[in-house]
Amino acid sequence: MHEALLIARREYVERIRSRAFRISTLLIPLAFGFIFGIGALSGRLTSGPKHIVVASNDAALAESERAELLAARKDAQLSVEVRAPLTEPELASLNADVENKRLDGYLWLKEGPGTRQLEAVYTSRDSADFIGKDRMQDSIGHALVREELIKRGTTSEDINALLADVDLKTSKVTNGRAVRADASKGFWGAYLMAFMLYFAVVFYGVNVAHSVVGEKTSRVFEVLLASAKPESLMLGKLLGVGAVGLTQMAVWIFVVLLLSSSSLWMNMGLGGLAAYGLTPLRLIFFVLYFLLGFFFYSSLSAGLGATVSQESEVQQFSMLIVLPQVIGIVLIVYILSNPGALPVVLLSLFPPCTPIVMTLRMAAMPVPAWQLALSLILMVLSIYGMAWFASRIYRVGILMYGKRPTLPEMLRWLRYS
Amino acid sequence: MPPIVEFNQVSKAYEQKLAVRDLSLRIEPGTMFGLLGPNGAGKTSSIRMMVGITIPDSGNVSLFGRPFVRESLKKVGYLPEERGLYRKMKVMDQLIFMGQLRGLTADVAASRSRAWCERLMILDAAQNKTEELSKGMQQKIQFIVTLLHEPELIIMDEPFAGLDPVNATLLQDTLVDLKKSGRAILFSTHRMDQAEKLCDEICLIHGGQAVLAGRMREVKSRYERNRVVIDFEGEDAFLSHEAIAEYRQYPGHVEIKLKDNADAQALLRAAEQQARIYRFELVEPSLEEIFIQTVGERVDA
Repeated sequence: MHEALLIARREYVERIRSRAFRISTLLIPLAFGFIFGIGALSGRLTSGPKHIVVASNDAALAESERAELLAARKDAQLSVEVRAPLTEPELASLNADVENKRLDGYLWLKEGPGTRQLEAVYTSRDSADFIGKDRMQDSIGHALVREELIKRGTTSEDINALLADVDLKTSKVTNGRAVRADASKGFWGAYLMAFMLYFAVVFYGVNVAHSVVGEKTSRVFEVLLASAKPESLMLGKLLGVGAVGLTQMAVWIFVVLLLSSSSLWMNMGLGGLAAYGLTPLRLIFFVLYFLLGFFFYSSLSAGLGATVSQESEVQQFSMLIVLPQVIGIVLIVYILSNPGALPVVLLSLFPPCTPIVMTLRMAAMPVPAWQLALSLILMVLSIYGMAWFASRIYRVGILMYGKRPTLPEMLRWLRYS
Repeated sequence: MPPIVEFNQVSKAYEQKLAVRDLSLRIEPGTMFGLLGPNGAGKTSSIRMMVGITIPDSGNVSLFGRPFVRESLKKVGYLPEERGLYRKMKVMDQLIFMGQLRGLTADVAASRSRAWCERLMILDAAQNKTEELSKGMQQKIQFIVTLLHEPELIIMDEPFAGLDPVNATLLQDTLVDLKKSGRAILFSTHRMDQAEKLCDEICLIHGGQAVLAGRMREVKSRYERNRVVIDFEGEDAFLSHEAIAEYRQYPGHVEIKLKDNADAQALLRAAEQQARIYRFELVEPSLEEIFIQTVGERVDA
């Protein structure tokens, strides 16, 4: 154990001092910020001043539609002009205006004679969706209803009350109480945690493999083996790299806590951490699942890393580390919307997928305590099994050079003691 | 006093190949022991069993008079054939780490490392990263790593491979000093001239088996003194003398193998009449010759 700790400390100190550590500590959050920033900004960037025309053979309908459009896009600089009544052949001049960029687009509403049948066409240069098809459809529907209600003599207050958007609030049950929750913020929080877990486990898992192969190519192993058991070497490496991962996470969590309590964060209206689901319990499980996921995948990675002789060969098996975790990422929306479905529950108890899937489930529902406990037990057991398997491969593999062993050969290694 | 190392009928096979077969040997304290043999003879396989990296399939390995236990390794210094250092680590950090791994405290490891670096003249490089050093310097560091914990048994696999003559001599002298202080030293090599100069005792292995073993003097005395080495200047017509079975001639130097029971004195007289003789020496075959002869016979067989 003393040897394992020495090896872990060396691994930790050398890594913390390395430039790669400083760069990844800084770059990974920046990359996340960048991705999320683009997502948030893209909505706002598209909205410049817009000038559109509502044309119709029914002037009243066109007026109603104008009001609806302006109401739907209060925030944007939108000017809506009404050309009504208009006949179909006269649209040619509007086409020319759109072509010459005097107009951004026009909406043509044609009511069939004596019926409520409505034909609606929106024409623009680039079919860009500046307002959203759904909202434009809604606005047309509202306009029709408004016009009809006016004809029937309903007062405009009543109409406004009828057509007003319902403000749907979401809440979820936490600890037996319904708590107001911002679904979109919760979603972003879950998303962020799942991705962090995924990146950290893959990054450090593959790192372990690279470091094993590196020590193999530099032939340090044989020197170390004369004073330490292969099991201690492997344990030391996992502990050292794992501690580096924890340090990095601690830095990130600390920065998030610091930012979230800063005035800048509040001014941006981002809300408290709890809104994103970053409660202490979730953070604890986040770290726990990182550690378990890390030990599971990095012992696999250490064992497989010992079987190859060159760094470039690591890629051949890194899919094994990435693939089970990608399942969780790919199913992210399904898991968040069906956190209690049987396939999702089973997946969250399947150790290779547990960290990410369980983190997502915890964001979407209060996961029963027995499931959390079971997932931890299963993971610990499977880590034990994986470490047993990996250390056996490891002790033979680190002294083998040249041709990569086949699977049957590796299974034979298991029997060597 | 028990032997430092004892192999008793040790065998080891990898997959299909038998690497070591029924090998027995003993190394006494204060001995320089040479494990000789061509490439692939089983030298490294034997050494790995000595330091517990692999375990024999059959037979016993004893260190310091008791069956192998990992605890014994605290008194063993091992220099593998493939040199291994952490490339990115600073030399001094590396030495201290390796010292700690072998049970020293950081302080002791640091002060001993400094002393050794001074002795091997690499103190200036101690704060550099290992990868910035020349190959010879890295080898010296590896050497220090092996000796830091003052082992009683020093095992070195091809210790002089790739060293220039100055550094090779420096390390040879160090080993001789260590031997004089009572340590047992085992080294493997296929350079017979080095073995001949340094070893008290040898074991020549070939195809995983010991084919020749014993104290150097005793091994060589098994062979007749029928080799003549002459350094000369002038005519070389004496090389057609009837006593000569075969010879190898170099500029001003000839190595002669005499016929059985031939008279070396007659050859000396003949040579003296034709050339100026600087050296005339009647010797046993060199270890190299014995090696080639022994191994060659086995290959033929």
